[in-house]
Amino acid sequence: MKDPRVEKLADLMVNYSLGLKPGEKVYMRASTAGAPLIEALYVKILQAGALPYLWTELSSQPYLFFRYASEEQIRHIPEPNMMLVSTYDAYIRIEAEDNTRDQNQIDPEKIRWRGQAVQEYMKTLFTRIGDGTLRYMATVFPTHAHAQDAEMGLEEFEGLYYKACLPDMGDPVGYWQRFSRWQARLIDQLLRGRRKIHILAPDTDLTLDITGRRFLNSDARMNIPDGEIFTSPVEDSAEGHVAFTYPATEGREISGIRLWFEKGKVVKATAEKNEDFLQEVIHSDEGASRIGEFAIGTNEGITRFTRNGLFDEKISGTFHLALGAGFPEAGGTNESGLHWDLISDLRGGGRIFADDQLIYEDGQFLLTDDGHR
Amino acid sequence: MIDPRIEKLAGLLVEYSTAVQPGDKVYVRSTTAATPLIEAVYRKIFQAGGHPYLWIELPQQPFLLYKYGSEEQIRHFPEPYQKLAETYDAYIRIFAEENTKALTHIEPQKVVWFNQGMSRYSKRLVQRMSDHSIRAVGTLYPTSGYAQDAEMSLVEYEDFVYCACMPDPEDPVGFWRAFSERQQRIVQWLDGKRRIQVTGPETDLTVDIGGRKFINCDAHVNVPDGEIYTGPVEDSAEGCVYFSYPAVISGREVSGIRLWFEKGRVVKASAEKNEDFLLKLINTDEGSHRIGEFAIGTNDRINRFTGQILLDEKIGGSFHLALGFGYPETGSKNESSIHWDLICDLRNGGKITADDQLLYENGRFVIEG
Repeated sequence: MKDPRVEKLADLMVNYSLGLKPGEKVYMRASTAGAPLIEALYVKILQAGALPYLWTELSSQPYLFFRYASEEQIRHIPEPNMMLVSTYDAYIRIEAEDNTRDQNQIDPEKIRWRGQAVQEYMKTLFTRIGDGTLRYMATVFPTHAHAQDAEMGLEEFEGLYYKACLPDMGDPVGYWQRFSRWQARLIDQLLRGRRKIHILAPDTDLTLDITGRRFLNSDARMNIPDGEIFTSPVEDSAEGHVAFTYPATEGREISGIRLWFEKGKVVKATAEKNEDFLQEVIHSDEGASRIGEFAIGTNEGITRFTRNGLFDEKISGTFHLALGAGFPEAGGTNESGLHWDLISDLRGGGRIFADDQLIYEDGQFLLTDDGHR
Repeated sequence: MIDPRIEKLAGLLVEYSTAVQPGDKVYVRSTTAATPLIEAVYRKIFQAGGHPYLWIELPQQPFLLYKYGSEEQIRHFPEPYQKLAETYDAYIRIFAEENTKALTHIEPQKVVWFNQGMSRYSKRLVQRMSDHSIRAVGTLYPTSGYAQDAEMSLVEYEDFVYCACMPDPEDPVGFWRAFSERQQRIVQWLDGKRRIQVTGPETDLTVDIGGRKFINCDAHVNVPDGEIYTGPVEDSAEGCVYFSYPAVISGREVSGIRLWFEKGRVVKASAEKNEDFLLKLINTDEGSHRIGEFAIGTNDRINRFTGQILLDEKIGGSFHLALGFGYPETGSKNESSIHWDLICDLRNGGKITADDQLLYENGRFVIEG
């Protein structure tokens, strides 16, 4: 029998997140491991009157590509893909892997070539998302591989996933609308017009200037699951140090990361595991040693670390910093090929001050009214 | 472990049929049911220096489109696919259905909309195939759906299909090269002949082939392959044919078909099963009353009917006629929106003569050697 949650999720994505209209062209990129969700979305897209294009990849395809393609072949971008990103109205990305580590043995040089080759595609994608001509939606589909990374059984992981995506199974859209209003209030009451953020937690004492920067409300329009508010701090402002409680995965797992900042720049970095790799990432370009994003996760359905960025950055009670590229829509100007989220738990006595007012303590916002999400 | 025959078949498709060269752009269209073959073909294309583009459909996708799509949505053919047909150097089509009867209850009109929406693409593809600016091959991946139609287990059906595709598993390319040379001698013998007569049980048909060309099918356009075909002169067919094999179209089976021809045109038609459907199809347009193709199947490994035309039309010892559209490269001028192959076994006393010389008897060419 079909999992009824898949259909509800597809409905939320098509009719709420993207709000597809008749005649709009939408492309969906996913691996075959996400087939149940692809099919459910395909039906919802057709029912919305939109025109779907399925860009379906075999789950083995990325590995085979890097394993067998020459440099010239790796650098080739098929024209149909450029047509999609430059002419379509909406794009759905589903991350669905049968093995999240299958490219670990691939020569990093090859992955760099591909990174360079897709720059034109990525630039078109970000430009069109930024100017509103292309709507974008990303999710993960629960597979054994993603469950394995989360150290859970598939059924447990599915439980976590759907609870995070559809906290109110009876009214998924209503839930996210209420949630969005709650987050808007957080931003209005606690963060709008503030100049300075100060984070205090075990082994953490960091200040950031956010003067003139905007906090944005992530409310299931571009990611599902969602739940975070984020901004890009002033690029040369970070002072202090941070200990990240969760390991970071960027190909390889790096754990026990500590960073020290002066005038916005990382001046010292240590890790308990894979410190060499940490240094390599931080020095990959000029912008990689500065903060592109400061964010607070707000999804209470995500109660544990899963080793999947789309989930982990939303864990309620955490904040994250991203080294690398900032968000122009938040006022960020940092440029980098990197955008690397590093997550820290604030539930064990962590506090956040905005202009010296305590706004967040032990994983909870201190709203003046009793706002309910 | 991967079935080693899949690797060999992929090699045949990429290195022989489409002969992919460095820098060639190659698109592969199939469904996820053929994943092992798609993966092998993908690898071979890289190894040949080509740039592969995979167009992969989910097995349920056509059904879902027809069930939930409006006319506008069914007719919509995405521009990126058109680009493939316009600009790519090679195309590998792998038929792989999990369920060959999934569309049985879909209104036929919806399929017509889809085909109309796709016609700009299909026309461009046929055009580029005939001027050789694109090399295209069609093959079939053994699925349980096809095995079920053939009334075999999947394991038996796999053996059957791979054996038909690669009669010499040690040297698939060498086999088809030698096969092509042998078949070319028959095509040469037929060159310049004017009149073909086919006789067999309840069958006595003559067609004029003056000025028409026979084409040698040797695993370049289809795998498996094995047939020679031409387009007979449009107003020449006289006599009657009894087709011993059923014909399957849009999931519907028509069996026990008999056709009578005068001056090239069907003047009477009957069937033991689904006769109404047969008559409707013949009445599609003017060209569907006439013969677009006359062909002889030559693949001896295909020795039984399976319900898949890609295989059945190659049955060694059979001939087939297609009502409707004829191939311009043979000299045929017949135009129609249908091309419907009807197959007749000649192994039980069947004979073919050309200008009164015996060419073929009991399913064998008698002019060989």
